[in-house]
Amino acid sequence: MSDAAENRPGWGLTATAFTVVAFLQLPVIVVVLAAFSTTSYLTIPPQGLTLAWFGKVLSDPTYLSAIRMSLILACGSTLISLVLGVAAAYALFRKVLPGSEAVTSFLMAPLVMPAVVVGVALLQFYSMTGLRGSLVGLLLAHVVITVPYVVRSALASLSGLDLAVEEAARVLGASGFEAFRLVTLPLIAPGLVAGALFSFITSLDNVPVTIFLISASQTTLPVLIFSSVEMGIDPSVAAVSTLLILATGIVLLLAERRFGFHRFV
Amino acid sequence: MMSRRQGLLLIAPLLLVLTGFFLVPVLMLLPTSFGVYEPGAGLVNGAWSLKNYSQIVTDDYYREVIWRTLGLGFSVTLLCLLLGYPLAYLIARGPERWRVPLILLVIFPMLLNLVVRSFGWIALLANRGLINNLLMQLGVIGAPVKLLFNFIGLFIGLTHIYLPFMVLMLVAAIRNVPRDVESAAATLGSSRAHVFMAVTLPLSASGILAGSILVFVLTISALVTPRMLGGPTYQVMATLIYDEYMQLLDWPSGSALSFALTFMAVAIIWLSSRLTKRWAGMA
Amino acid sequence: MGSLTFEGLGKSYGEVEVVRDISLTIAEGEFVSLLGPSGCGKTTILRMVAGLVEPSRGRILIGRDDVTNLPPNKRGLGLVFQSYALFPHMTVFENVAFGLRRRKVAGTELDKRVREALGMVRLAAFGERYPRQLSGGQQQRVAIARALAPHPRVLLFDEPLSNLDAQLRDEMQIELKRLQRNLGITTLFVTHDQGEALSLSDRVGVMAKGVMQQFAAPEEIYHRPATGFVASFIGKPNRLAGSVAMREGSGGRLAVGGVAIPAARIEQPAGAQVDVVIRQEAVAIRSGAAQSDEIAGEIVLRSFSGARVQYVVRLAEGVEIVAETASHGPEASLTAGAPVALAIDPASVFAMPPEGATA
Repeated sequence: MSDAAENRPGWGLTATAFTVVAFLQLPVIVVVLAAFSTTSYLTIPPQGLTLAWFGKVLSDPTYLSAIRMSLILACGSTLISLVLGVAAAYALFRKVLPGSEAVTSFLMAPLVMPAVVVGVALLQFYSMTGLRGSLVGLLLAHVVITVPYVVRSALASLSGLDLAVEEAARVLGASGFEAFRLVTLPLIAPGLVAGALFSFITSLDNVPVTIFLISASQTTLPVLIFSSVEMGIDPSVAAVSTLLILATGIVLLLAERRFGFHRFV
Repeated sequence: MMSRRQGLLLIAPLLLVLTGFFLVPVLMLLPTSFGVYEPGAGLVNGAWSLKNYSQIVTDDYYREVIWRTLGLGFSVTLLCLLLGYPLAYLIARGPERWRVPLILLVIFPMLLNLVVRSFGWIALLANRGLINNLLMQLGVIGAPVKLLFNFIGLFIGLTHIYLPFMVLMLVAAIRNVPRDVESAAATLGSSRAHVFMAVTLPLSASGILAGSILVFVLTISALVTPRMLGGPTYQVMATLIYDEYMQLLDWPSGSALSFALTFMAVAIIWLSSRLTKRWAGMA
Repeated sequence: MGSLTFEGLGKSYGEVEVVRDISLTIAEGEFVSLLGPSGCGKTTILRMVAGLVEPSRGRILIGRDDVTNLPPNKRGLGLVFQSYALFPHMTVFENVAFGLRRRKVAGTELDKRVREALGMVRLAAFGERYPRQLSGGQQQRVAIARALAPHPRVLLFDEPLSNLDAQLRDEMQIELKRLQRNLGITTLFVTHDQGEALSLSDRVGVMAKGVMQQFAAPEEIYHRPATGFVASFIGKPNRLAGSVAMREGSGGRLAVGGVAIPAARIEQPAGAQVDVVIRQEAVAIRSGAAQSDEIAGEIVLRSFSGARVQYVVRLAEGVEIVAETASHGPEASLTAGAPVALAIDPASVFAMPPEGATA
């Protein structure tokens, strides 16, 4: 009797686990079904199939500008977070500064703080400084909430690195920056991609900070869905959600294929 | 190699951004939380009071919301633990070929937009939603059961939202339990159930604690899901803060509530880290 | 190419002095090893030469150039790391080309010199492989080729053979020595393995607690250890607690549990507590009763290790000593309980301050 067989989970546990996995996918399936449904509420079996809601979303300027705004914010804040976060993580990794443990905690603090508190704090701060509704203000707010993910993944990737590899590059004639660019950066890249993906998704997902800071004319996609649900449900929300589900699924599968994304979670 | 000055230069930009756009704004809420707000007139200049804090403890409505928030935190954490452990155990100890697909199915809903997931639960739980329709078609119930805008709705929705976090923490914890130790217990005559209770469970305790703290803190801080599934009437602390700011414009009261919420989150994290340290000391 | 000189080189971390006032010159083309237990400061010296650690005191010169304050990339050195430190994301070719590219070597010249370096370590056919596709020994050779390719002025080795298994280590030792002789490149080799240091080097520096104990040719180190530390670190020493029984000229007799052992050189006064250090290979063993200048004993344990046989011999109650003999010799098959006679060369017996006291 091999020891793997001895420890194998039993049928009861396996069945429970698969039920839980199904529970996790349930609302996803429902949203997709609703997007193709002719009725504004869901029935089983569906009353009829239509692509009309997708057409409505893709021709609605409100949705389109919200999608654009979300993408600008997500791309911009991820880029800034990557540059600032990797630089900071690298300095922490090289242990040239005192109190690096306290500094790390500070960089991670936005994760601990309830997002709604960060939101209202920035609302007051931006109202006083006139940044409210500005793109710069929004970008920096998103950097605050996304940068911990980049720092965390950069620190994790760096900690697995043999310091001698960078020293080897230095002795072979590379300047400090060259050694980082040619050796360290390529080696931590897979971990950074995972961190960037988390950062991107966090920005794209965010309501509790964004909702306090946007101007009436420029909203993001999740804030738009959030407010339209308060107004009353329309299947076009399901259609735009389905588009997001599709995009998320594709990105996840690509990241898994290319980098083995599940290792970085 | 790298000098202290170079290190400082690398870390300074991020420290500046976080100081200017996180630390300072949060600290500036502090004076606001002692301010006095007159409905219709706004902030009263120069006046200050402790009322915003005292009302959190004395006012019946605030107290109800706080207890509700904490109650949700505990129930959601418990349910996540009960649902998450079997799944995490299967991922950590089950057949190799299931591992990656299962992990991806756990990550997928986590990466999915929170608003979209909450919207899915509205479609499921509404009076004319999927569950009520199905039950009525099957003749189990005659009239729709109220599943939204109450405890049940938030309980189900929040459990779904934060379950993946719990599962991932538990997977890491269970995989850290050396299989040799489990095998050793088995060869010493333990039944499978006893191996689990005597070895696996205690050795994964720190992971269980970490996952529970994470889910608890996320749950009591949640804004989007409670708002979407609870509506404007069934309030938790985060939605109350949102309304104080956006609807009532009572910033002093909202900022006091913000500090109360932050205090609760930080206190629970601090307590758990004390606990983990004590465990580590025992090991 | 060039010589390598240390002038009063020292390094402290806070209050702790890890390298103390080292001054020496390694001649052009010379192979020098720094030998010592871990924490003796040898690796710190190597890292100071490479520019990876900043010296607290003193100067480092390559040829006549003071490189003390130059960054590592301006020193023109080759360094082979204990972990090899190959770039895992680059092919073998790119690994070896790395240093050349930093020196703006390109095109056919680059190609030629990479092939030349890979040829020297007999890996010419492996250019397109990645490090993870190579065995430990091959990775080691890539690391050497990478260090050699830019034609460094001085070659540094940091415990390069410690991750290889025994057989491969012996092969690499010979290969390394051949390579260094052929290229005539000034080499500093750091190791804790005395066999490596003695067999490879023109001169060996033995270090303990940041202090250079002796810097001399291998034969001198082995036969005429300058300090008790060197005596007890080199060879396979027996170390027995005893005292000085009698002084006579520069030597005298040492007493270990009632057994008298003559020693050619004793620095302590009569009566002093000492540790008696005797090399295993300096103890000649013979079966039978002891003659007047021999010490009688009894075999306790025999242990066969290929070319040699070790015996644990009891001299008196509580006094045991390990002796060694060739496994094909006449005394190779003594059994436990057999009476033996030991002859110990007084020149190979050393009296040291007792363990625990400062060396």
